[in-house]
Amino acid sequence: MGVLAFVAKRIGIYFAVLFIGLTITFLLPRLMPINPVDGYIGQLQSRANGTMTAEAITELRSTLETLYGLKGDLFTQYVSYLKRIVFSFDFGPSFTYYPQPVSAMIFNALPWTLGLLLTATVIAWLLGNMVGLVAGYFHKKKAASILEFVGILLYPIPYYILAVSMLLLLAYIFPIFPLSATFPVGQMTPEKFGMVIYNSLLPGITLVLAGFGWNILSMKALAVATTEEAYVTYARLKGASNWTRMTRYVFRNALLPQVTALALSLGMVFNGALLTEMIFSYPGIGLIMRTAANGGDYNVLYGAITISIIAVATAGLVIDLLYPLLDPRIRHK
Amino acid sequence: MIRLSDLKISYRIGNRVIDAVDGVTLTIPDRCIVGIAGESGSGKSTLMKAIYGDIQSPMYLSQGRIDYSLKGADGRPVTSETIRREWFRSLSYIPQSSMNSLNPVIRIREQFIDFPGSDSNKKRVLERARAYIGKLGLPAEAMDSYPHQLSGGMRQRVMIALATFFQPELIIADEPTTALDVVVQKEILLLLMELQEQMGNTILVVSHDMGVHYQVTQKMLIMYAGRVVEYGDTDGIFSDPQHPYTRMLIDSLPTIGDDSLRGVLASTAGAGGDRAFRVEPHLVEVKPGHFVARGEHSAGVAA
Repeated sequence: MGVLAFVAKRIGIYFAVLFIGLTITFLLPRLMPINPVDGYIGQLQSRANGTMTAEAITELRSTLETLYGLKGDLFTQYVSYLKRIVFSFDFGPSFTYYPQPVSAMIFNALPWTLGLLLTATVIAWLLGNMVGLVAGYFHKKKAASILEFVGILLYPIPYYILAVSMLLLLAYIFPIFPLSATFPVGQMTPEKFGMVIYNSLLPGITLVLAGFGWNILSMKALAVATTEEAYVTYARLKGASNWTRMTRYVFRNALLPQVTALALSLGMVFNGALLTEMIFSYPGIGLIMRTAANGGDYNVLYGAITISIIAVATAGLVIDLLYPLLDPRIRHK
Repeated sequence: MIRLSDLKISYRIGNRVIDAVDGVTLTIPDRCIVGIAGESGSGKSTLMKAIYGDIQSPMYLSQGRIDYSLKGADGRPVTSETIRREWFRSLSYIPQSSMNSLNPVIRIREQFIDFPGSDSNKKRVLERARAYIGKLGLPAEAMDSYPHQLSGGMRQRVMIALATFFQPELIIADEPTTALDVVVQKEILLLLMELQEQMGNTILVVSHDMGVHYQVTQKMLIMYAGRVVEYGDTDGIFSDPQHPYTRMLIDSLPTIGDDSLRGVLASTAGAGGDRAFRVEPHLVEVKPGHFVARGEHSAGVAA
């Protein structure tokens, strides 16, 4: 199979995954026995002490249904839903912050979440793999077990405990970082950028620490197994240096499963976003999702879920396209 | 020439010490193919590791010494301490598991130049290596392949190319053909013999296959429970085996219709344990160049 055919096929699968994801997102809330328009009208009616006339209610219902894309039968709704998302990435207005469009809210929050979580995930992965590699390659040396100990120590701490402890330690007891982060709005200047970095450091460090331990442990286990491989022994008997054997032999081969793990954790950054952004009051998607879930803001939830689907599918796509570059055995199938 | 003097190689496992090679004294001359035979656990591989200079924990040299007639790159004679610097320069190694001794994610050509024994002028090495593998029956494109694109026989040819490319004076081949089918096995062995003739170096071949020894080697070393029981010209050993263990090994070559050996154990325990044969470490020269260990033969098993 040619490279182009492979890429085309993989991208085809990507769009199929997105399509199925969007369809499920569309269907799930509609299978629930609650009608948000009825609920909304009921709220208004009770606030207005039932003074709304039947015509006014019909008119309101029609307006709301158009606004929220709930007009017509299921299929008409589905077609217009897909059209709106695919062509204008339009999820309608937020219920809570009416009339602010959901897409604008998401696009405002997205750079924050991606900036913090992607960076932290990648740094944790890089550091964890480096430490894990050294710990695994030199697993017969006593000093290397100290490195593994770092992983064993960090890995089981639940993130919320780690985050709150770090906040207490580095923002309250030793006030190095701000207790509650403040972020500048408007045009980005170098000064504001520095402020953003400074305010993002503490949540970033906790995220790196949380992801670090697992990466050490899994890379260590992979590296230990790889050092036993016949080709590593042979490289040693060829006289290849420790550095060559560690990087080109052990690391290159142990890396493959770790890349998959990285892709999965990159796809899951929005899950991590929720807790981090709550604890550090960080203005990203997680915070928006939480507010939306509390306030029954369906459109915002739709938007956030769609973004998550896109993120997971894209991470999978990137890894699938990257993998053949790392493993020749896949390239030639 | 390699001279082993009262060589004792041991493994330390916990508080136990196992003497895998237990007092071996012999001289291996230059320019010949020497076969090493013996059952699993008889110390063949340990002896090969020791000669190759790959002595690392938990294995250690507990007694005796190995003298090489090799000259190092710096002109000084090679010793057990400095031999690592000569790996894939003046001595090389063909591993047992050729099928997975090549790094699966790196091209063959990279594996010709990623060690210090290789010339620092990588481009020149590659040009010469490309021409060289052609002589070994490999297409030049094999250099640009990944290991999984080559067949088992081709991979073994690559291993032989790697081991012989730098014209070493000593090659240690640890069961070089075990993973191959009989036809490819023969091709590889013939190739090895041809190369040895051209280079005029010494090859030590470890094998369980007495047929291989008969076809390939000029001299043979029979090991049993960490000691050498017989050492001499292959022809002499096959025509007139002196030690009952050697006789059993030779008789183990199956003949169609003969199952008299079924159920006979050569030894009841491996290295360092109880010996079915009592083997003295000292060899007696029974004929010119034909050495045998004396001892009370057949202590446990009828030979």
